[in-house]
Amino acid sequence: MNYFVALALAVGFGLPLAVLSAAMAQGRTASTALEGIARQPEAAGRIQTAMIIGLALIESLVIYALLMFFLLQVKLPETEAVLKIIRGG
Amino acid sequence: MEEASPWLLFAFSVLVIIALGLFAILSTRRLERIPTTRRQGLVELIVESLRNFAVGIIGPKGEKYTPFIGTLFIYILAMNLLGLVPGFKAPTSGLSITVSLAVVVFIVYNAAGILETGFIPYLKHLAGEPLWLAPLMLPIHLIGGLARPLSLSIRLFGNIFGEETILVILAGMTYVIIPYVVAIPTQFPIVLFDVFIAFVQALVFSMLSAIYISVAVAGHEAH
Repeated sequence: MNYFVALALAVGFGLPLAVLSAAMAQGRTASTALEGIARQPEAAGRIQTAMIIGLALIESLVIYALLMFFLLQVKLPETEAVLKIIRGG
Repeated sequence: MEEASPWLLFAFSVLVIIALGLFAILSTRRLERIPTTRRQGLVELIVESLRNFAVGIIGPKGEKYTPFIGTLFIYILAMNLLGLVPGFKAPTSGLSITVSLAVVVFIVYNAAGILETGFIPYLKHLAGEPLWLAPLMLPIHLIGGLARPLSLSIRLFGNIFGEETILVILAGMTYVIIPYVVAIPTQFPIVLFDVFIAFVQALVFSMLSAIYISVAVAGHEAH
């Protein structure tokens, strides 16, 4: 039973943790990019391109966590089976 | 979430290739030196911007890699956008297409490094600058070299597969909000976001391939 508890917690908490750190990193990326554009508006095109690339690379780490979620989610047991175990069926 | 058969995705990618080939053949007939037709102007605009993109990253040696980088970008963009057409499934939403593309990029950038700088200097470049650090640098470079195609393929696959899954789940909610009377297309904002993601992922894939080629081609003097 502890195994399934650990599995359910990992499935539930894995992806939000990845999203949290990725959101902080992307916010910092966007804020420094905006500061750079404000300081030198004629470089806006190059800064915007580099910012989009940076955001996509950070986002790909969250996508790895999403793939892990999909892989682990199919190993969770069915609700009826768990209820039968709890009732001692 | 059942996996799509690789042969179905391969069939869709062949469809994309045929469509792109027809577009390329039809738009390069009767070329003139100064473009007067709108079709030729559009195609020249696309080729010119792809060439600037590739040369801007790789440098002056990037001229001969422009077709490869440009084809990667257009091909991946077309395959990503095919997933939005009703009835078709994006070929890049399966691991088979993306891994094969990443393997091709891996072969190309290693071959580019070997052809440009020779076989032994390329191995020395893998071993790192101070030669006695080679037992440390060589495994790091080898693992990094394996991580590059892996991350390329999984990034593209994960983004497109995740988008399609979200589309399926939201499209299933169409009749749920006002039960069974009014159809609200709840997946429409995600469709718009998916177009943006298709562009960004094609751009990131081709730009990373160009960066890997430029690192392999530059050799010693760029570190």
